[in-house]
Amino acid sequence: MLDGAMGTLIQKSGARFNHSPETLNLTRAGLIEGFHRRYIEAGADIVYANTFGANSYKLSGSGHTVAEIIGAGVRNAKRACEGSDALVALDIGPIGMLLEPAGSLSFDEAYEYFREQVVAGRKADLIVIETMTDLYELKAAVLAAKENSDKPVLATMTFEKNGRTFTGVSPAAAALTLSGLGVDALGVNCSLGPDELAPVVEEMSRYTSLPLIVKANAGLPDPNSNEYDITPGQFAAYVEKLLPFGVKFVGGCCGTDPEYITELKKMLSGKSYIPTAKTACSSVCSAATVVEIDRPRIIGERINPTGKKLFKQALAENNIDYILSQALSQVQGGAEILDVNVGHPEIDEKKMMVRVLKAIQSVCDAPLQIDSTKPSVLEAGLRAYNGKPIVNSVNGEEKSLSAVLPLVKKYGAAVVGLTLDEGGIPKTAEGRFEIAKRIVSRAEALGIPREDIFIDCLTLTVSAEQDACRETLRALHRVKTELGCKTCLGVSNISFGLPNRELVNSVFLTMALEEGLDLPIINPNIDVMTGAVRAYRVLAGIDRSSLDFIAAYGGEPKKAAPAVEKEADLFTAVCSGLKGEAAAATERLLKTVDAMEIVNTKLIPALDRVGEDFEKNKIFLPQLIRSANTTQECFEVIKRELSRQGGGSVSKGKIILATVKGDIHDIGKNIVKVLLDNYGYTVIDLGRDVDPKLVVETAIEQKTRLIGLSALMTTTLGSMEETISLIRAAEELQNPDGSSFCGIMVGGAVLTKEYAEKIGADYYCRDAKEAVDAAKDFFGA
Amino acid sequence: MTLEPLDRAEAVRYLGGGSREPDERLSALLSDCEKELISAARPKYLYKFIDLPCAELTRGEDIKAHLEGCRKAAVLCATLGAEVDRLLRVAQVTDMSRAVVLDALAGVAIEQVCGRIDEMLAEQLPELFMTFRFSPGYGDYPLETQKTILALLDAPRRIGLTLNESLLMIPSKSVTAVVGFSSSPLTAKKRGCASCDMRGSCKYRKQGEHCGF
Repeated sequence: MLDGAMGTLIQKSGARFNHSPETLNLTRAGLIEGFHRRYIEAGADIVYANTFGANSYKLSGSGHTVAEIIGAGVRNAKRACEGSDALVALDIGPIGMLLEPAGSLSFDEAYEYFREQVVAGRKADLIVIETMTDLYELKAAVLAAKENSDKPVLATMTFEKNGRTFTGVSPAAAALTLSGLGVDALGVNCSLGPDELAPVVEEMSRYTSLPLIVKANAGLPDPNSNEYDITPGQFAAYVEKLLPFGVKFVGGCCGTDPEYITELKKMLSGKSYIPTAKTACSSVCSAATVVEIDRPRIIGERINPTGKKLFKQALAENNIDYILSQALSQVQGGAEILDVNVGHPEIDEKKMMVRVLKAIQSVCDAPLQIDSTKPSVLEAGLRAYNGKPIVNSVNGEEKSLSAVLPLVKKYGAAVVGLTLDEGGIPKTAEGRFEIAKRIVSRAEALGIPREDIFIDCLTLTVSAEQDACRETLRALHRVKTELGCKTCLGVSNISFGLPNRELVNSVFLTMALEEGLDLPIINPNIDVMTGAVRAYRVLAGIDRSSLDFIAAYGGEPKKAAPAVEKEADLFTAVCSGLKGEAAAATERLLKTVDAMEIVNTKLIPALDRVGEDFEKNKIFLPQLIRSANTTQECFEVIKRELSRQGGGSVSKGKIILATVKGDIHDIGKNIVKVLLDNYGYTVIDLGRDVDPKLVVETAIEQKTRLIGLSALMTTTLGSMEETISLIRAAEELQNPDGSSFCGIMVGGAVLTKEYAEKIGADYYCRDAKEAVDAAKDFFGA
Repeated sequence: MTLEPLDRAEAVRYLGGGSREPDERLSALLSDCEKELISAARPKYLYKFIDLPCAELTRGEDIKAHLEGCRKAAVLCATLGAEVDRLLRVAQVTDMSRAVVLDALAGVAIEQVCGRIDEMLAEQLPELFMTFRFSPGYGDYPLETQKTILALLDAPRRIGLTLNESLLMIPSKSVTAVVGFSSSPLTAKKRGCASCDMRGSCKYRKQGEHCGF
């Protein structure tokens, strides 16, 4: 039995406070203690100390430290508990700023806020983290709690009428992620009245076997009077209906008072907690989407630099957008989970993994599989990930088992187990099965449930070892039927060295599915591969009434592209923004004209024309961008041709772009990027909210001389100035005489030419077109 | 609140198209993006009436002038929600021209939401005359006032509207504002270029256009 609302009592008492209600812990200790006592007298077994908003962000300016306020809050509650068995919970609420990617607070900064609270509240008996709307923030809080104390942790989130939190978290994803992180109970608080919470609580109970918490509001507040509309008696009756979902902790949130707790207590008398087991099978998730592995699910393999020249180049140039477009196109193709591998000798894999995971999660809801051979990269990825991911991978080697499995346990992930060990890959199915068994028993010994272990029996190249294919499939079948594990397999390897690889891949995939493959790792943008999985689901009776299949293929027949009567010439195609035509025209021209000549005599003049039209207001911004994107298609064709010829580059120079620290509106910078890209410059896009130091480091590392900065708000112009002075001060970016050799161009809604000069920029760019002019001027082309 | 069809002419103006008609392809893009935006948006708003004077809400000369003669004011905030930000992020990766159109339409949408709040407020105090909305950042009205307004309305908890350390609102398509109520007719307080800070550097004015303010 938990308590009711503190805020409501404070409000009703009319107690006045400066800054925030938590300061009452010091100024009106007796009053707060009295409120706790009323809840204990009403029947509460656990009272939440008055520490909800006591973090250093919210307390800044209050004149008090976190330690003071929390220390006093816990002491007040402890005093109220004297003479009873009631326990005191350190209450932790949201920081009050949103975390990346929606906001700009980093995960590590959030962790630090929470750590400070956990340490300050060490005298409490347990820790509750409540009213969270962002699963990522909640994860930071849970990790801070578990890494800095050994107290039990209760975690609850707040849901809207549509069954999601403000940031789009689903109850299922919350349940899965929190269970994995090892909280002791989880559930819902605040949000709605208990009458409206059944769907949320029910969904959570399907995805966790942990005890659930319900601490609802007293209905909905009247917008004018702020009075809540559910009486204590009704409240208890509604909560009673939620008990069968495995609810162990009940209490009240906004609008409740001791009367509500009294009624709850009455309702609970004679009842005991009935644990419920979850009903969902193996599942992984992002914050918004749960993928239950109750049928073959497609893992997209393309975020991986192995054997991909463009991908390697993108990694080396920090071109995150390239990776994001790969992610989105795979999901479009039918991938349900994405593998993410950024291992490349020229880069810091750990940093890149964190960056890429966060970036993908900012645009894409598919759960991710963190793929690396290095445990340190896996751990960094696991920390940065929002949801329950898959770790790829552990294998039967002692070194791997002892390094990887504890991470999987700590962060509550699922894991791929490769059936190889110190002795290599066993030739026979039996040998691989034995390793699988070993991996499972080691994982289970650490408390990783069997359903979270996905065994990969390893695909060998059939052209090299023809009989190995049968062994793989036999091993897979045994793992599935005898160990009861889900199975996973990289499919494409099978056909290496053979012609018509897609044919071989798709037949092998079908064979493997029939043997019980759950997680094929494939290229989802190859129709026959995705198609094979979809068709299998129909034929195996999984896709009932073929609904998914029809949804994928039964839609409106694709409209045939209107026949082009006459081949468009490149100039016109670019000006009108016709991508297909422009690419085709480029290909035709390449047969007779030199690549650089096409760039200089066709593409650039066409872009210039479009730019002029834009300046003269003859065309709109979207049209300018469309033409720029069209040129991009042409550049792709040209780059392919150049790389086929071996060597040569069309780059006219490298430019770093960044939206400055504190600023998260980067649409303007992105427009500039598209244009510069398509004028043939190589753009290193550092994204938004960029630390000044990162700009300088990248400029040094990448030997870049032109840097573009954008800022939207008057409040972030300071960051711009700071970034510029840091660039100017970097010795590595100076001529022998001490002057800086970097060109700096700046832009943004509130900037003026005068201000740009004042803070030491070389170019003030009013719009994207002027940024191109600046680049031309700087590089002399 | 659900969005009503958006004012596309307004979006075209935001896109720098002035009062010209968009061509066929741009029209198609606009309708496409409009549908997408309306389905992603979850407009939410809060408001509260307060009695004047109220020192913490009236820092700066311009707001004082704006509320001159007003006995009452309302603080309000509104947002299109986090899903719209996400939609914009995705579009910026996949198709930048779509992104700028969505961005313009989102601007139109939040303005529509605010317009409807204006109407509600006016209806609640029919006997008084209402000023136009004045937002932190207009003139010398400090951006820090956003903090006060959001705290007064308990906006982070009730509608998920927050600020970052640089005082940017998150979700980004959001508004905070103050309107005043006076018992005597308001004369001078018209919206328009004359009362706007940007009039020297405004890109719309340079083209002989108007931003709609």
